[in-house]
Amino acid sequence: MSRSRLIFIIFYLTAMLIGTVHLRVSKSRIYYRYSVTNVHREELKRMLGDRELRLEQLINPSAIQQEVGKSAASGDGARK
Amino acid sequence: MQPAATEQGSETGGMRSKVTIFVISGVLIVAFCLLGWRLFYLQYSRADYYRDLSYRARHARVIETAQRGRMYDSSGPGGRLLAASNRILTVFMDPGLLADWDEKMEVAGILQPILGMSAPEICDIVEPRRNTRFVKLKAGITEQQHAAIKEAISRKENRLRGVAIQSSWERYYPMGRLTSTIIGVEGGNADENGPQKIGLTGLEQRYESLLRGTEGENILVVDKLRAPVGRDPSSTIAAKDGSSLVLTIDTTIQEFARSELLEQYKHYRAESAVAIVMDPWTGAILAMVSIPDYDPDKLSSTDPSALRNRALTDPYEPGSIFKPIVVAAALDQGIITRDELIYCEDGHWDQYRIGEWAGHRFGNLTVKEILAESSNIGMAKIGMKMGDRRLCEAVKMFGLGSKTQIDLPLEEAGQIWPLPWDKMCLTRVPYGHQINVTAIQMARAFCILANGGRCVWPHLVRAVIEPDGKVTELNRKTNLAGQVIEWIVREALTSVVNDGTGKEAAIEGYQVFGKTGTANIAGKGGYDEINYTSSFIGGAPADNPAVIVLVSIRRPDKSVDGKYSGGRVAAPVFKRILEKTMKYLETNGT
Repeated sequence: MSRSRLIFIIFYLTAMLIGTVHLRVSKSRIYYRYSVTNVHREELKRMLGDRELRLEQLINPSAIQQEVGKSAASGDGARK
Repeated sequence: MQPAATEQGSETGGMRSKVTIFVISGVLIVAFCLLGWRLFYLQYSRADYYRDLSYRARHARVIETAQRGRMYDSSGPGGRLLAASNRILTVFMDPGLLADWDEKMEVAGILQPILGMSAPEICDIVEPRRNTRFVKLKAGITEQQHAAIKEAISRKENRLRGVAIQSSWERYYPMGRLTSTIIGVEGGNADENGPQKIGLTGLEQRYESLLRGTEGENILVVDKLRAPVGRDPSSTIAAKDGSSLVLTIDTTIQEFARSELLEQYKHYRAESAVAIVMDPWTGAILAMVSIPDYDPDKLSSTDPSALRNRALTDPYEPGSIFKPIVVAAALDQGIITRDELIYCEDGHWDQYRIGEWAGHRFGNLTVKEILAESSNIGMAKIGMKMGDRRLCEAVKMFGLGSKTQIDLPLEEAGQIWPLPWDKMCLTRVPYGHQINVTAIQMARAFCILANGGRCVWPHLVRAVIEPDGKVTELNRKTNLAGQVIEWIVREALTSVVNDGTGKEAAIEGYQVFGKTGTANIAGKGGYDEINYTSSFIGGAPADNPAVIVLVSIRRPDKSVDGKYSGGRVAAPVFKRILEKTMKYLETNGT
């Protein structure tokens, strides 16, 4: 086996090793970013749901009726 | 001799070496056999165990709970939300990660300003459970608190240790009391093998299998510290969220019914009250109120009796609101005619000990007048003419005495006495005594009257929405129950409102039909003159009924203003609910 061929094989194997390690690290990094994005997305969904529920509580017919009653009472009071 | 001795010595040495080789070989063979056996044991017999052990060391299993389906009112998705699940964040501590008391105090000191709890208060929660790995500190933290805790965990100096945030589903009921007796609640499951939370009452219980969805499973590849570094997609099962429901309930009509009924319930210090608004053509329930009701957010302090939906769990003697059903059946079967005069014994039928309400005295009355004046004696005579078998069949034809199959749990069937009936029973049933029915049965029976004889199924769920958005409308069957005479609704029951006992139910602009009912409640010593159920049932417009409304108020306090009858106590509530509902439906173009 010639010297140059040996160097080529060693170089090739090293490059493959580095490439494999790089791919594994990239996979972990991408997975981490995916997880972070996923958590963030869930968090945004949770916040949206929270606001939606709060809005529903504010605009439900009973709450509106109560508010109308309150404002009517305070309006009467002001007129008196 | 010497060579011979040498030869003998070398022979002995050769033998020794052979023995040594033999022994060593034997030991090696045995050792290899044992090794082989061990390998066989590990690789074959215990293969599954070690494979599993290795897999578990490299992977972590995370259960993904499905989001429970939502419930919308009749306007559908984008309309009013009646029940929904959302994630809440809970702060917890793992005392096992904190070395001593000082460290716990230090952590409590960091948490103090964030959670708004004093450090000793936090320590008081943690200390009794110091040997566990999960101590809940606060559930439902705000976004600001969440951000502050995350920052405290990730900073380098004065870092928050042994504390983490857990996310879990929480059920919300934005309408509160308004729809609580219909929607029901979700709560802890007694079955340890089942899901943690299940629907306990109402639609939450009835549609549990649809709403729940299915759990998912994430298999994560973990490092030696069990921190996830990847995901095993081949073993991952995605969670399937529960289906959502679109109800027939219109929250605006529900509010009309609840606010009006509640006002009267409070005014008359009644024991309970129910109101139902129904579409007579489809059986769709537009509103259903049962008072007392409860706040789903304060379930722990709720009287268990308030959890009942009395419209279907509490059978009662309906009283005079039952009369139109008997008259319709008698006319339908040709037992009586519209113009027939029935002698009403001048207010007292001594033979069967029947009197008229409020001491009225009637002579000859037509069928229409019997209904308008609510004559008990006239009805008893119609019952006698029908006979027990035909009367019983008629009652059953209107679905009374059997469950309506409404999509809510705990429905009662009521009670009809088995045949043969004695004369006392035969003369009482026609005016709604000696028979027990539920409010939903009565409302359904009036739907049959109003739609000309089609049997409708009362229902609360209009459609199911799959998690992928596919909407499935639920078609409810209607059967022809019988040829019910329309004259009952258009003529006889309108005269109750125009000229009879139900004048307080009249509305300007609509021809209302209906019937009052004031039923004595049987106590230990029989019926008395104090306890009544005041009812009114009817609808509008008479020529093409759009809605049926039933109002029943149990045990109104007579001492408030002397009023107790259906015409005085229930009819005004009926009128206000119907008036608002008709205007609302007209505005909405339905």
